[in-house]
Amino acid sequence: MRVATRYFVLLGVFAFLAGVVYWFITYESVGTVLFLAFACTPAIIAWFAIRHGSMRDRRPEDDADADPAERAGEVLGPFPAETVWPIFLVLGSITIGASLIYGLILVPLGAALFVWALLGFTRESRG
Amino acid sequence: MTTTIDRPPQAPAPRPSPGIVHRLVSTDHKNIGILYCVSAFIFFLVGGALAEVMRTELMEPSRQIVSNETYNTLFTIHGTVMIFLFVAPFASGLANYLIPLQVGAPDMAFPRLNLSSFYFFIGGGILVLLAGVASAGQAAAMGWTAYPPLSEIRLSPGVGPDLWILGIVLVAISTVMNGVNILTTAFLMRAPGMTMWRMPIFTWNMVVVAILGLVAFPPAAAGLTLLLIGRRLGGLVYDAAAGGDPTIYQHLFWFLGHPEVYILILPFFGVITEIIPVFSRRPLFGYTGFLLATLTIGMLSTGVWAHHMFTTGVVDNPFFAAMTLLIAVPTGVKFFNWVGSMWGGKIWFAVPMLFSIGFLLNFLIGGVTGVMLASPPIDYQAHDTYFVVAHFHYTMLGGSVFGIFAAIYFWFPKMTGAMLSERLGRAVFALLFVGFNLTFWPQFVLGQRGMPRRYVDYASGIGYDTPNLVSTIGAYLMAVAVVVFLGDVWRSLRRRRPAGDDPWGGYSLEWATSSPPPEHNFDRLPKIRSVRPAFDRNHPGSAP
Amino acid sequence: MRHARPVRTLASCAMLVVLAGACSGSFGMPRGASEQAQETFEIWQFFFVAAIPVAGIVYVLIAWSLVRYRRRRSDEPGVLGSQRAENFPLEVVYTAVPVVIVVVLFALTIRTDDRVTAISPDPDLVVRAEAFAWGWRFAYPEGVTVVSPPSGEEAAEPVMMLPLGETVRISLTSNDTIHAFWVPEFLYKHDAIPGHTFEFDVTPTEAGTFQGHCAEFCGLNHAYMNFKVQVVSPGEFDAWFQQEAA
Repeated sequence: MRVATRYFVLLGVFAFLAGVVYWFITYESVGTVLFLAFACTPAIIAWFAIRHGSMRDRRPEDDADADPAERAGEVLGPFPAETVWPIFLVLGSITIGASLIYGLILVPLGAALFVWALLGFTRESRG
Repeated sequence: MTTTIDRPPQAPAPRPSPGIVHRLVSTDHKNIGILYCVSAFIFFLVGGALAEVMRTELMEPSRQIVSNETYNTLFTIHGTVMIFLFVAPFASGLANYLIPLQVGAPDMAFPRLNLSSFYFFIGGGILVLLAGVASAGQAAAMGWTAYPPLSEIRLSPGVGPDLWILGIVLVAISTVMNGVNILTTAFLMRAPGMTMWRMPIFTWNMVVVAILGLVAFPPAAAGLTLLLIGRRLGGLVYDAAAGGDPTIYQHLFWFLGHPEVYILILPFFGVITEIIPVFSRRPLFGYTGFLLATLTIGMLSTGVWAHHMFTTGVVDNPFFAAMTLLIAVPTGVKFFNWVGSMWGGKIWFAVPMLFSIGFLLNFLIGGVTGVMLASPPIDYQAHDTYFVVAHFHYTMLGGSVFGIFAAIYFWFPKMTGAMLSERLGRAVFALLFVGFNLTFWPQFVLGQRGMPRRYVDYASGIGYDTPNLVSTIGAYLMAVAVVVFLGDVWRSLRRRRPAGDDPWGGYSLEWATSSPPPEHNFDRLPKIRSVRPAFDRNHPGSAP
Repeated sequence: MRHARPVRTLASCAMLVVLAGACSGSFGMPRGASEQAQETFEIWQFFFVAAIPVAGIVYVLIAWSLVRYRRRRSDEPGVLGSQRAENFPLEVVYTAVPVVIVVVLFALTIRTDDRVTAISPDPDLVVRAEAFAWGWRFAYPEGVTVVSPPSGEEAAEPVMMLPLGETVRISLTSNDTIHAFWVPEFLYKHDAIPGHTFEFDVTPTEAGTFQGHCAEFCGLNHAYMNFKVQVVSPGEFDAWFQQEAA
């Protein structure tokens, strides 16, 4: 396993054990649930890392003797230069949230804004 | 656009200064980093102004300039702004700017997500400020902890608390997005040869911070959402009369709240750990031990939350006392790493180093008083007094904010290509250091003498007058320091004394590129054979 | 060991400061006007006395490195410090010593915590303290109650009478939001939470009038939700109680 994966596994095991110990010391439910939820977060990442290639395979950066020049000319993929969609994504989210305060009438407006921004966001990242 | 690594070296073309609109929508990590830092600093000015109003009110006994209600809003918004909108986002800004540079990547892993996390933070910040200025009787005034039942609609009517909750939830979303981005970049975008054990300490610390953010923010967002549901849709989770329990909220909130203080301090542990070795002309003493200490802090910090609840009588105090005392060990170890890095060095007292030393001196006091507060019997007395206020300001202001100034003076030349003034920088440091200690040392005395926190008013003639007066004078001194600092920034941006690529003789990769770095960071990467690739390049003789 | 002597001198100076601090007394905190408070006072004293040399040693180390290892004018511009980056035995020592310290602190903490929170099986007096926004209701046996006047900034503070030297059980609750019962001289506070009732004992050892506060932020008039505790001899207490009960 790579260092990163080991780290996530370690975190998950720690949180799980802490949760078990906590339960048997205190019999207090909220804290136990919190510890176990904490255990899940790194566990999900570790599971992904073990199952899927990007983190499982050995990578050039883990090779202590690698030379950055070896990667010269390699195409990393596209990097976006500009995007405006995050602004609309936030406005949509705020509108949905504000509907709880100012009336549920705002929900369709917020949802429309949010979906529109999300679609724009996704289309942009494809193209 | 498509990016390749290691384009052939070419003469840097004069880059046109990007317009403001471009800056607001550009996904370049350096741009987003600067956006984060500048906005966070503006929030700092807002939060600082609120603090000055509070100190002015408390300068003398009895009430002078604000009403009870306004005072309650002041400390609510001050706390929220400083924690959620200044220190943590400033660290995110540094992380956005520095992590790709330090690991030799052309950008963050998800640039669009990165810009989104920035805008969620801004959106949340604006909502929090709106919550503070909502019309009379409507503003958020329930403390930054927003404990129910106080924060329920019958005791805190009005839209202020709702806007506040929405704001914090947006900040939580932003933190999670940013955390995913940092982890992916640090784990998957490193340059060849940059193994995990060669990653700079700042990057490592931000990795731990990112994980803490991923773990700690969702429960708090859930807790706050339940609060909002209680306020607006009739939820009863926290209602004791309906069979709920208000202490559930405290668990959820402090499960965020305590890792959050490490989210606030670990980045700046990282910052001074970058700075101290550079200005001591030494390698970091005990890199591996330091890292293990950071990882241990990261783990233990998730198991200490209920030391904020020692006086509630609903938690197991010995368990949390043990965990809290234990976390003092890795923190103590770091002090020896820092001293060890200076020991045997050739220390250059440049401004970033001065702020780092200030950090050490202040944070130590925050640390030892923290150990006292970890003991439940002591906490029964000190909880919710000015002793606690002084303690956490010694860690967050004396620690994190000194770390922020150290970082600004250290990386400003890299970010802008212009040097800040050494002379003014020393003045800022002196004013801030003296002002800070004048402000908060007397607050330990106040706490010892029994002054509760969050009191708009206090009785005269029982030992509270002088410490409060001194404290207020110190607070004004800090305001002067900030004004001088802003003048320094303005002056250097006008004069533009060129910094060169590496004004300090830095160690990590950001010093191996131009200032400011080109669009995708590196025209050419040096070989990475240790934690200090830039140093190795400049000192071929002492390479390992 | 060329530098050993100044370090030792500085360390002994630090020890002197500690001893002076320990002898001069209370570090500004109340000495405790109840049996439980004296326990807390002692452990806090101990924590202070332990903290000062620990912090002192670190400060001396920092100061020493800053002075001794500063870059001097005579140094060449590109001069480097020692490039040694590890010392494994030293690292083990400076990890192990703090562990020992916190284990000791933890043991003391648990001992004191048990004593401070211990509940007597048969208290001499039970007082039910009920917090509300923004005042207090102290209910004694036989229907004797002391209540805050209607809350407001200038309202008089209710007085909780307690007999000297007798174990008093305080049973604490709240009927609206979270408050906290705090008497600084008793070195103890406890939150009052709706839906919960908490119990703790106070055995006053000093007669006099002490200020009490609400310590948990509870809204608009939080700063004015104060009360007084008056500790009087058992005889005087009985006289007061008879008068109130009549």
